[in-house]
Amino acid sequence: MTAWVKGDATDAEGAIAAAAALLAAAHAPVFAGLNADVAAIRAAYRLAGTIGASLDTQGAAGTYADLGALSRVGAMTSTPAEVQGRADVVLVVGAKAGTSTLASALRGSKPVRGLAAGADRQVLAVAGASAQALASDLALLRAHAKGHLADATPLNEIARALYAARYGAVLYDPAELGELGVETVQGLVRDVNEITRCFALSLGGPDQDRSVVQVAAWTTGQAPRTGFGRKVPEHDPWRFDAARQVSTGEADAALWLSTLPAARPDWLGALPSIAIVGTGSPEAAPGTAEVVIAVGVPGASAGGVLWNEGRAALTYRPGTGGGASAADVLARIEHHFAGKDS
Amino acid sequence: MLIRIQGGRVVDPTAGRDGVGDVWVEDGRVVAPSERTPDRTVDATGCVVMAGGVEVHSHIAGGNVITSRLLLPDLYVSETAPNGHPFAHAGGAAAWIGAAYAKMGYTTAVEPAMPPTHALATQLELADIPLLDRGALAVMGNDDQLLQLLRAGESRDAVRDLVALNVAQSRALGVKCINAGGASAFKDGVLKLSLDDEIPVYGLSTRTIMGSLLDAVEAIGVPHPLHVHCNNLGLPGADDSFVETLDAAEGRRIHFAHAQFYAYGAADPANPGTGGFRSAARRIVDAMHANPNATLDIGQVVFGQTVTVSMDILRQFGGRKGANPKKWVLNAGDAEGGGVVPFLYKPRGPTSSLQWAIGLEIMLLSNEPERTILTTDHPNGGPFTAYPRIIHLLMDKEERDREIATLPKVVGERSSLPEIEREYSFSEIAELTRSGPAKLLGLSDRGHLRAGARADIAVYREDRNRTAMFASAKLVLKDGVAIVEDGEVVHWHVGRSLSLTVESDKAMERRTDAYLQDRFGQGLDSFAVPDAAFPEAEVFEDVACRA
Repeated sequence: MTAWVKGDATDAEGAIAAAAALLAAAHAPVFAGLNADVAAIRAAYRLAGTIGASLDTQGAAGTYADLGALSRVGAMTSTPAEVQGRADVVLVVGAKAGTSTLASALRGSKPVRGLAAGADRQVLAVAGASAQALASDLALLRAHAKGHLADATPLNEIARALYAARYGAVLYDPAELGELGVETVQGLVRDVNEITRCFALSLGGPDQDRSVVQVAAWTTGQAPRTGFGRKVPEHDPWRFDAARQVSTGEADAALWLSTLPAARPDWLGALPSIAIVGTGSPEAAPGTAEVVIAVGVPGASAGGVLWNEGRAALTYRPGTGGGASAADVLARIEHHFAGKDS
Repeated sequence: MLIRIQGGRVVDPTAGRDGVGDVWVEDGRVVAPSERTPDRTVDATGCVVMAGGVEVHSHIAGGNVITSRLLLPDLYVSETAPNGHPFAHAGGAAAWIGAAYAKMGYTTAVEPAMPPTHALATQLELADIPLLDRGALAVMGNDDQLLQLLRAGESRDAVRDLVALNVAQSRALGVKCINAGGASAFKDGVLKLSLDDEIPVYGLSTRTIMGSLLDAVEAIGVPHPLHVHCNNLGLPGADDSFVETLDAAEGRRIHFAHAQFYAYGAADPANPGTGGFRSAARRIVDAMHANPNATLDIGQVVFGQTVTVSMDILRQFGGRKGANPKKWVLNAGDAEGGGVVPFLYKPRGPTSSLQWAIGLEIMLLSNEPERTILTTDHPNGGPFTAYPRIIHLLMDKEERDREIATLPKVVGERSSLPEIEREYSFSEIAELTRSGPAKLLGLSDRGHLRAGARADIAVYREDRNRTAMFASAKLVLKDGVAIVEDGEVVHWHVGRSLSLTVESDKAMERRTDAYLQDRFGQGLDSFAVPDAAFPEAEVFEDVACRA
């Protein structure tokens, strides 16, 4: 394990003790990133629960667009393999979904399962020249689908195509659409299901947020963002936004966990901080934070359970056996607090 | 350590035991009375001593349970955690589930719906439930690979090998089918399915799919019989589906999940869709008495707000407009997926009152509590934390009458509950919640207090208020270790995940790997549940197949 404290190289024990001391001196520490394997995310929740920290994630913009819509209106969804296997009509919403690997795969293939097997697949798009135009087009599309509008426009044709499908799918990137856009997509899908099958499919980001959501839900009973400052897990997406807490001065220390590659938050240098990062990443450097600990990269040098976007499931990825695990480092930091009432 | 639990009323129907006596424990097991001086003596005077409770059907882990937490963040209340576990008071969380069961004297719980495609996530979540031994049933019956194989008329051995592979890969304790063929049919536009209706594309029916799984489970020697969720759950006339499914088992072992939801006879057989329902409890119980190969669990309804979670996406879609509050999730997954629909069993509402009555009626009419297992199908009928109250109602006719008096008269018009005089004895409660479920799961080391049993033991203070008595055990031992004293967790023991030892056939492994590569671009290894995936050591405990 490579580690630095205040720019100087040190051993594991020294870095872990420094990290524990930094957290012990803080009143309201925040954990950010959580861009790591399930064991590390789980250990971060345990450490946060022990010391009263709050937790935020790398891909929060997309995660909250989906979760916010989910808890308000619900969802009707499918999986990547099912959409590839069954969909005869696919609507791709937004520019990001349009350029996704899945969208290209769908354009180049036909359904192979279910009643639509062997049929041609129609791949339609609502791109929107701007975020505002996209939101407006989505709303108009839903109005067409509901029968509130019926003018001869491309949107009307898309609505008709979804109703004519045997198995329709609507592909979107939640970060691009935002909560209101996701709600509109889900509403559209629900409306179409009065007549035929249609499902939404949200594309995951290049982060481990979908692992975090699961670990958070089974560990605390609720979604992230989570705060433990009052000795009880509290779910509050606004209050526990790490960037917001740092900018308002509510947080006085930070732990950034990103054993998979990701850009460091720009606020990390603004307060006493710890970075637990993957060996070999650009952030595994003495200047990243006050305490920097480089550990094994899950699925590469270390084994670990990661979100598997192709299967929309958690999968264990073996490692080559090099490097300490982030979960172990977090547990050893927590050990410093054992028996102490923080 | 030698422990003597002294002077309690020991209730173990498997040994014909119901009287004041002692239970001796050493090295995690119940032992014969000893001449040696015990290291600890528990004074159980005035208490009832039973084996730890065993849960066969409670949705405590997996994708749909996760979704229910995300859909209804306010269903549970979290409290501050004063007692050494940071998450034990986080309402609905894994640690809360373990603690809530343990306080009631339960020591084993099974999640009945693990999709093999998401086995690792389910097993990781189960492993974070403290205090209990836990297990999960692998769900099959809607997956394309199985349906293709059946469509092609492949041999029974091929079906057996595929089922064995799924059990082995997911490290399951048994096999379940949920509205077999229903999810597949739903994706192809079908909205109602009965036992012999054709599943589009495959030319199969629920009968043929379920029959092949019944055979496979027997051929593999899975101790737990096929766990069956029938067609038409919750609809008037569902009693027909139940009885037809029982007949379709043709004498093979079969377990019916949440039977209460099928004991709904059409009140107006000419108009089953509109005439409402009346209790078919007597019909279900008679059918069970005539078929000793079958078992059921209840799925008792509890008044109040809950959320229904089910992999029966056809029925959950059908029930979506009854969502209360008005939001729901339906995920059409790689095989079943899941539907999550919030539901309010309206206190004193006519429909929910009748459902409530029917569950109790089945238990009170049954001659064999061991084959009539107490569940609420948590959280579908209501939370498992209602067990003490349900036990109270079974044991106390006056208490039942008091509750019935507050309910609409439909309870007496459409069910026989008010006329039933029977009161359950402690022995019968032990059959309903201990020996019955343990036998059903094929776990001979629990559910009883005979020498050699695992020392999972609950000690309750005798109290006429059975709700209070069973809600908060005086003492609970898990593997001989005291985990609960005076209704509070005193030691965060870590249990095991029970997993069946099954050899999978190498040829079927290769064949399945090729199938999965073609379908997902990833092979069998992406479905694995290896020990290395778990943060803690020694998560699993092997359970042997039947000889």
